[in-house]
Amino acid sequence: MPLIVEKKPEVLITEDGIRTDGRGPLDLRPIKIQVGVLSRADGSAYLEWGGNRVLAAVYGPREVHPKHMALPDRALLRCRYNMAPFSTPERKRPGPDRRSVELSKVIREALLPSIFLERYPGTAIDVFVEILRSDAGTRVAGVTAASLALADAGIEMRGLVTAVAVGRVEDWVVVDPNHDEDQWGDADIPVAFLMEEKEITLLQLDGPMTQEQFDRALELASQAADLIYEVQKEALRRPYEAVRLEILRRGE
Amino acid sequence: MKPERNEPKILVANRDLVLPGQALAVGPIRPGDYVYVDKKGVLRSTKVGLADIREGEIRVVPLAGSYIPREGDLVVGTVSKVAGNTILVNINSAYPGVIIPPRGLRGRARAKYNLSPGDLVLAKVKAFDGVSSPLLSIEGEGLGKLVGGRVYMINPTRVPRVIGKRQSMLMLLKSKLGPEIIVGQNGVIWYNPKSLKHALLMEQVLAKIERESHVSGLSDRVLRLIESSGILDSQGSEAGEV
Repeated sequence: MPLIVEKKPEVLITEDGIRTDGRGPLDLRPIKIQVGVLSRADGSAYLEWGGNRVLAAVYGPREVHPKHMALPDRALLRCRYNMAPFSTPERKRPGPDRRSVELSKVIREALLPSIFLERYPGTAIDVFVEILRSDAGTRVAGVTAASLALADAGIEMRGLVTAVAVGRVEDWVVVDPNHDEDQWGDADIPVAFLMEEKEITLLQLDGPMTQEQFDRALELASQAADLIYEVQKEALRRPYEAVRLEILRRGE
Repeated sequence: MKPERNEPKILVANRDLVLPGQALAVGPIRPGDYVYVDKKGVLRSTKVGLADIREGEIRVVPLAGSYIPREGDLVVGTVSKVAGNTILVNINSAYPGVIIPPRGLRGRARAKYNLSPGDLVLAKVKAFDGVSSPLLSIEGEGLGKLVGGRVYMINPTRVPRVIGKRQSMLMLLKSKLGPEIIVGQNGVIWYNPKSLKHALLMEQVLAKIERESHVSGLSDRVLRLIESSGILDSQGSEAGEV
């Protein structure tokens, strides 16, 4: 028996649309991103999204091991999503499980269309997504961070990938479900977009929704992704801008 | 109404910081390095870099990325393995370099190929097809094993800045910090400093170039750093020395 028994809140969303954490239905949780945090990796990003803490690292293009996995005409994209044992309220048994194998797969496929793999034949690009603290929506946080890590590694890309989840709580369609809504809500849709052309690279659905609710959910996801995209771009620019400003300040 | 002139519409300024996917231009202009054309005909960047607009062409000068060999490149690498007649060289790339000694060499010409793991070599990329290992050559003056000196690893995208326009930066470094500097296109820089002070200053200078390469006026800042260090006079010799 776990020490902390989680209970469903009496009200997940009030009649006037106030959620358990005080947000309105369209509000995102606060997002903070930093790029280039790991000096040993070719590219990296650290992301805080609500209570989520995600570290993404990219290695590559590099030699493929084992060698027989190398593809003659393009790079091999590998992705590992992993949750730290201390990322959940109860200790998570370390190592890959059914869920993390699936998430590795969907994150890989969400990033795949964004990368010009054919520019790096015979090599491997390895993406690691480490969840340090989880608080609902870790897969979309992982995709968002991993895409920045790829850009930071200088891998040729069609554009950045931004992901966000939308859910249904009773009759409300809500953006960026929190832990309670994830646990006891009625439906959950993680979506990833290749931002510049708004192509969808990830779309999952669990829980029932009407056609109207689904359409609205996609529309809201697209709007929320626009906001997150701005944060991503700012994070990529920041290190370069900081150096430029520092030089200006020194008066050189 | 006048017929619309078929002019490209450029959406960024020269030397703007651009991000992957960012629209650079629309219309009849040639996409250069690290630029692709999307389905609607918009030219977009594939990397984080600086926009470089030229007559009839737009390209991106990358600020991040690893080394992809090109034929004719001069690279500095470490011998990683000697297997029979082939010598494998780590050239800081996804593609390991290979040196194959030409047949029929004797005497001193053959001795050049007596390399063992850990040796530092200066080599030229002779052939690279984009898939299999690039073939390196150490035939030629100055090529081959590098003895002594130090190595500094810099991001390969910064190599053009370490060399500078018409080698201006490299000449500056050579005149101030000693003539023995070799800049590999793969981002491996070999240099043989006169003293530890020179070596430390060289490291500082290269770190500065790596960090500040995207801001113009780099040569001036580097020159100021070297002069303010106080360990050199204008001749490049030790200050206080007669």
